[in-house]
Amino acid sequence: MTHVTRSDVLVIGSGGAGVMAAVEAANAGASVTIISKEPLGYGDTRISLGVMSTSPDTSSGDSEEQFAEDMIRGGEGLNDPKLVRTLVNEALEATATFEAFGHIFDRDHDGRLKRGLVPPGGHRASRTIGSPGAGVSMGHTMRSAAARADLDVLEQTVCSELLVQDGEVVGATALRMPSGEPLALLAKSTVIAAGGAGSLYYPHTDCMPSVTGDSYGLALGAGAELVDMEQVQYLPFGITHPPALLGAPCGEPVVAGPFGRLLNNKGEAVLENIMPMTRAQVARAIVEEIGRGGATEHGGLLLDLRPNLESPQGEFFVKALRKAGAPILSVVRRAYGRKAADLEEPWDVLPTAHYNMGGIKTDEWCRSSVPTLYACGQAQGGVMGGNRLGSTSLTEIFVFGKRAGRTAAREASGRQHADQKLAREPLEKLRALCGSPGTHRPIHLKRALQRLMWERVGPLREATGLEAALAEIEAIEEQARDLQISEIRRCNTEVADAVELPHMLATARAIAVSALARTESRGAHVRSDFPERDDAGPVSNMIVRMRDGECKLRRAVTSE
Amino acid sequence: MNIEISIRRYDPDTDPEPRWDDYAVPSGDRTTVLEALTYIYEELDPTLAFGSGCRFGSCGLCAVEVNGQPRMACSAGIRNGMKIAPLAGMPVLRDLVIDRVAFFEGLRKLRIFIGEQSESGEPQIVRVPKLHARLAACVECLACNSTCPAYDFDKDPLAGPYLLVKLAQLQLDPRNTIDRRKQAQDLGMSDCTDCRSCYCIRGLDIRRDVLGVLMGDGS
Repeated sequence: MTHVTRSDVLVIGSGGAGVMAAVEAANAGASVTIISKEPLGYGDTRISLGVMSTSPDTSSGDSEEQFAEDMIRGGEGLNDPKLVRTLVNEALEATATFEAFGHIFDRDHDGRLKRGLVPPGGHRASRTIGSPGAGVSMGHTMRSAAARADLDVLEQTVCSELLVQDGEVVGATALRMPSGEPLALLAKSTVIAAGGAGSLYYPHTDCMPSVTGDSYGLALGAGAELVDMEQVQYLPFGITHPPALLGAPCGEPVVAGPFGRLLNNKGEAVLENIMPMTRAQVARAIVEEIGRGGATEHGGLLLDLRPNLESPQGEFFVKALRKAGAPILSVVRRAYGRKAADLEEPWDVLPTAHYNMGGIKTDEWCRSSVPTLYACGQAQGGVMGGNRLGSTSLTEIFVFGKRAGRTAAREASGRQHADQKLAREPLEKLRALCGSPGTHRPIHLKRALQRLMWERVGPLREATGLEAALAEIEAIEEQARDLQISEIRRCNTEVADAVELPHMLATARAIAVSALARTESRGAHVRSDFPERDDAGPVSNMIVRMRDGECKLRRAVTSE
Repeated sequence: MNIEISIRRYDPDTDPEPRWDDYAVPSGDRTTVLEALTYIYEELDPTLAFGSGCRFGSCGLCAVEVNGQPRMACSAGIRNGMKIAPLAGMPVLRDLVIDRVAFFEGLRKLRIFIGEQSESGEPQIVRVPKLHARLAACVECLACNSTCPAYDFDKDPLAGPYLLVKLAQLQLDPRNTIDRRKQAQDLGMSDCTDCRSCYCIRGLDIRRDVLGVLMGDGS
């Protein structure tokens, strides 16, 4: 007998966006089921630095207009301005809501919110507020808020596909990892909040391994449109060695300070005045220099922060870095030693996959192109355009998490639950995974795909590489029909890999197809065969959807 | 260079007892236990189950016992002859994976949250002592529970240092309205023999920073 749940709202994913959506939907009176691959709250939000953009400080001359302009300039015009304005307008309210969940952001002596001193790259003013316990303290808050609300919580449950009836999403199927038992989750509204796809680039990523593009794979499977999937953010500074720390985050442009510079293997400065640049600009400069043969023996460039130690202005920055960047310095100390962490020796750095700007295309109330399907957080596209400014993703998860939860709850009333018979075939597919007698281990296909994505669909791309990648993705898809999986029911990692693999493949295809179609370099998408931004024609978004097993692309001129 | 490590294996569905399996794994530049576990799963034994997450010490999911001591697999280096087991005293789902579900349920049971706040759309004025931030940085690896000799999961999964950290954090929060010291007493905090065995991977001094907050009479 199959276990079936029925709720008004199903939320897939339990990072900041998922928990916020679930709590808002429950507060609006909906019955809510939230599923999480890991323990609840253990997504990328929990391993972030916990630094979030709140509202602009108008007393220092900053304004909402200026904040929105910074986001759109940083995003190189690909952002949906309506979504940007929503984020900026509701940033303060979202801050207050998350604090009402139990969180406490940095405070001044009077107990008022205290904004950071140095804005991340691309912001003209500081709107950031830190979390004294970094991201993990946000994780505590999310778990507490979920416990306080009336939610049905299913931890360690991985979603395999969305159930679709007459073009509407009516729930999902999933697998309980501890028991290996498949589940049908029927719902009147379904919210995708399963984060990005950083793991597509493992080990070149600082994201949780659970972030395998499920958001995009699930949405594509249900016929929803994704926007600008080619826009993958590589944090410019990631660790190159030892292998255990490859991909670990050691900073965004602001970490360079006013005088930091990037050196190549000949000791030549290849980039200076890094601090005000966007992540996309700095990551590009690094991979282009590496392409010219400037890499160190460890494959990176050298981030030289020593000049900051030699001037009073730099000294101020060094103090700020020691305070706010403690987690970064601790990773640097482990990888490169104490002198490097004291900024006295340069750091070997290579961009690392950090965030997907692209995602499910939604309106400002988080409705996707498929009725009854909603998306929020990193799952959603269009907010950040071609580059996300530092600290804005934590704003995004709360602003749009609230909206998705409210909309999904409101629109659920009046809808009926589908018949559970609809789940029969997807559940059979799930059952068949355990003990599958085929040829290829899912983890080996995952690793092959990850290598391919980094090499051919990574920070530097060109047409022949992208075409080869698409052919290789198709070959892996073929191999994925013939899987070899052990027979264990309990916590069978191979089964989880097999459920994630199709999401990864669908996401990889969407990224590669969009990257091939964008014949220019814009935002985080850099084409060595089209190194310039195409400013002659109108700016277009790349919109993809799956139809008859094909990834179809259309271009849409950006609004505004 | 290859080295040998032993891993404790157990599937409650099929095994009467846990057993130790030996594996030869490559060791290179500062190879970690997590890299060794990943290598075994990918190349030697598809049936090995272990927890892992961020790889860089931020998530607490990969905590295991290495030669009898709780460590994060992502930061512990491997040595020849090392023995790797799940955290002691925790319910094992399979091999090195422990069941954490009781800890989410515990948040509900002990109301580990502040009450609903009236929302004005503006953040409130809140002042907390510096210690609050240190408690808020707990990565929930559960090493503290696993090293507390008085902790017995089967008797009460919540009666251990891990939940006390949360109670102390709330005790310091001006928005908290529940007597957290009384909750700590009810969990059996006064049975603590001050043996100082409870170990925090993040270096929190549980006796000073947690019990210190919860021992007072509230005045």
